[in-house]
Amino acid sequence: MNKYTDVLIIGAGLSGLMAAAKAAELGKKVTLVAKGMGAVGLSSGCIDLWGYNLEDPNQVCQDPLAEIARLCAVNPQHPYARVQDVLEESLLFFRRVCQENGNPYLDHRGGNWLLPTALGTLRPTYLAPASMAVGDLQQVRGVLVVGFRELKDFYPDVLAANLKKSGVLQADCPLNTLMVCAGGGELTPNTLAHRLENPAVVDRIVDQIKPHLLPGAVLLLPPVLGERWDSQVAKNLAEKLGHPVYEVANIPPALPGQRLQQMLLHHVKGQGVEVVIGCTVNGARVADKRCTEVLATGAGKPIKISAKTVILATGSFLGGGLESKPGKAWESIFRLPVEIGHEKWSARDFLSMAGHLFNQMGIKVNEHLRPVDKTGEVIIENVMVTGANLAGCNHPIEKCGNGVAVASGYKAGKLAGEVGE
Amino acid sequence: MSSDHRLALDNCIKCSICVSHCPVARVTDKFAGPKQNGPDLERFRLEEPAAVHPSIGYCTNCKGCDVVCPSGVAVSAMNCRARGEYVSLHGAPLRDKILARVDRMGRAARLAPSLVNRLAGLRPLRLLAEKMLGISAAMTMPRYAKKTFLELYKPKNIGDTGRKVLYYPGCYVNYNAPEVGLALAEVLAHNNIRVEVEQFDCCGLPLIANGLLDTARDQAKKNLAKLQGYINRGYDIVTTCPSCHLTLRQEYRELFQLNTDPLHEKMLDVFEYLSVLLQQGKLVTRFEELPLQVGYHQPCHLKAAGCGVPSREILQLIPGLRVADLDAGCCGLAGTYGFKKEKYAISQAIGRNVFNAVKELGVRQVISECGMCQLQIHHLTGVAVYHPLQVLAQACGPGKWLAK
Ligand SMILES: Cc1cc2nc3c(=O)[nH]c(=O)nc-3n(C[C@H](O)[C@H](O)[C@H](O)COP(=O)(O)OP(=O)(O)OC[C@H]3O[C@@H](n4cnc5c(N)ncnc54)[C@H](O)[C@@H]3O)c2cc1C
Ligand code: SF4
Ligand code: SF4
Repeated sequence: MNKYTDVLIIGAGLSGLMAAAKAAELGKKVTLVAKGMGAVGLSSGCIDLWGYNLEDPNQVCQDPLAEIARLCAVNPQHPYARVQDVLEESLLFFRRVCQENGNPYLDHRGGNWLLPTALGTLRPTYLAPASMAVGDLQQVRGVLVVGFRELKDFYPDVLAANLKKSGVLQADCPLNTLMVCAGGGELTPNTLAHRLENPAVVDRIVDQIKPHLLPGAVLLLPPVLGERWDSQVAKNLAEKLGHPVYEVANIPPALPGQRLQQMLLHHVKGQGVEVVIGCTVNGARVADKRCTEVLATGAGKPIKISAKTVILATGSFLGGGLESKPGKAWESIFRLPVEIGHEKWSARDFLSMAGHLFNQMGIKVNEHLRPVDKTGEVIIENVMVTGANLAGCNHPIEKCGNGVAVASGYKAGKLAGEVGE
Repeated sequence: MSSDHRLALDNCIKCSICVSHCPVARVTDKFAGPKQNGPDLERFRLEEPAAVHPSIGYCTNCKGCDVVCPSGVAVSAMNCRARGEYVSLHGAPLRDKILARVDRMGRAARLAPSLVNRLAGLRPLRLLAEKMLGISAAMTMPRYAKKTFLELYKPKNIGDTGRKVLYYPGCYVNYNAPEVGLALAEVLAHNNIRVEVEQFDCCGLPLIANGLLDTARDQAKKNLAKLQGYINRGYDIVTTCPSCHLTLRQEYRELFQLNTDPLHEKMLDVFEYLSVLLQQGKLVTRFEELPLQVGYHQPCHLKAAGCGVPSREILQLIPGLRVADLDAGCCGLAGTYGFKKEKYAISQAIGRNVFNAVKELGVRQVISECGMCQLQIHHLTGVAVYHPLQVLAQACGPGKWLAK
């Protein structure tokens, strides 16, 4: 089988989906192939942009966009330095797509949200789905943490105890916990979310919560309020209780990340993008610095795909975009060279929280997201690289994973849209 | 254990992506989900085959887990083998042995198809079958055609294009929906291509799904040998059923270690075949206007083939036709699964998203390649459901391909 397309995107993670959405909006024929689903479905569902101060990594950064501008000045190797020109534009685009699909994402007056996690810690993030966007906890007049008997991995008492310790609440703010029953059994977050789509079950939950509500209290629940991105469960629960209800971030699998993934897939399909999951790209033909053909297999069957532009959105080690042996790492489809960390940063204070080196490994690109060699020479002209594939960032520490994916995916889609006939 | 097998196991990074996409685990807690039943328990099963958990019967073999797994773990094949082991240790209920033999049911119904159809609609009989056998009384039964496809199909004398095409119709088209096979012949005749047919064994998927692997293996060998014969004589093989296709091409290899490589090149979904013609500039693209808005449901086994939606490109050539993707996931029927009394409710709960999508889009017709998906969508929504080929045949000329 042969396929022909304008823009081929390899990878169905956040960056690939953003690239697809943008290139399709610009009128291109887009095909997206992926071996499996991306990391966004495992993520909290929030878009981290930049978490902490460059100079004082213990301080949450108040103005991520300004901090990223400074970062790009001191560390021009960071992926943000390649996408700074479209960063704000990409975030607006992302929010517009989410809004149009009924899954609005909110910012916190241009700064970072500080959102509670299931462990009761506070996590900075830039954009949060409406169901997670708890405003200023300093100002709430009461908190009720609600868990489900059916759900492991969410202990209201742990959340409450640590939240109290964090000192973010006012000293006299009542903080209570409650376990409710959603019909019994031992459920995964997905099964529980499915059960809660039944209004009768929500009514029973409301009855259990009501006697414990103090005036002005905000409710914190595990991220299971709604199966799909357009679910009304969180909204209905809040309306029936007459109190604001929020989901907190929890370990995967959590629903908000899955909702974002499903929404974006649904959106790009609606835009006419051909989406083929379960199709693995094994290699490519390159001639005169151009990729002429990509070689893939679906259930064992060889498929050749030709495209004017190829966007490599295959993620890092988790998704299979990068592979490694001890002391060696490479990109798995084009065998692009992989940068293995860089020393310059170790002098900076920020690295006192240094994470794993492998998170920084990746492919070096120029300002058009084209892969380059050590000398800065473009290796393949019609290939662009996005997301976790890019060298030079350390997302778990820097809190920038989905942010880099949104901005770089958007930019690649935009550049692909500008490629002429 | 083969090194391949071990590798497949060790590839699992425990990310749970498969669990969050499993349609069964989504709606019920009776099934532990793909990760636990697949790679987690496989380790124990390899040491001790009796370690198979009975809840393995709740897996529908939709293959959603295989598709979404970022590490390429063949979870559903592990589940199929485990179900086979369970059945070989504990036996299968009579009901499963009956349902798994769709070919025999089809042949038996030949004696008096309309009578069978009438009986299948009789409430007291269905209640009895539910009680005695465990076949859900609520599920719509597939109707048997008055004549099979093989009886109905008369090859036309068409100008010779030199292309040799053999059609593998599968049981559903042969016994229940011969119009799909006839539509295929019509579409290919429109392109001056003559279709050969032949009596094959059932692909064996219903047997595999019910854990009856030995019989399925025998049929697999026979089918492969026959298909190989045609390939040797220069034929392309086309299919219209995504499940038969995937079984012949993938399950035979994964479950029975048979060599299916020749099929990867030579066996095509009919729309893939038409796409190849289109790319070669050989497709007759003279189509009549068809002012229709239809919903499209992608069957799980077509998804699992990892080749996208082959009908998309071709249907876009029909003037007036608008196809809206339902994008609602698994329909829930999974062949024989939704007919089982204890699984009917699960099957319907899974299909709820399809129902919602049809309602939301407001379409009155749906197209889908899989006969079982067609049945379930009709059962869920009441709308007419066709194979995309029937729409294409309608655009090729007169004839009444969309009357139901
Ligand atoms: C557990 C976890 C939690 C996280 N939480 C957060 C969070 O809360 N907030 C945040 O901002 N960031 C978070 N991140 C980081 C962020 O999610 C990722 O950095 C970002 O989503 C990466 O997106 P991507 O598109 O670059 O790659 P990925 O999401 O990794 O996608 C890669 C895609 O490429 C496909 N692929 C790979 N190889 C091939 C091949 N050969 N052929 C075909 N397809 C292929 C994969 O199947 C997949 O679809 C988290 C990451 C993880 C792992
Ligand atoms: S089988 Fe695949 S999707 Fe499931 S947990 Fe293992 S790696 Fe993840
Ligand atoms: S094949 Fe389908 S039902 Fe079975 S475990 Fe995988 S996703 Fe679940």
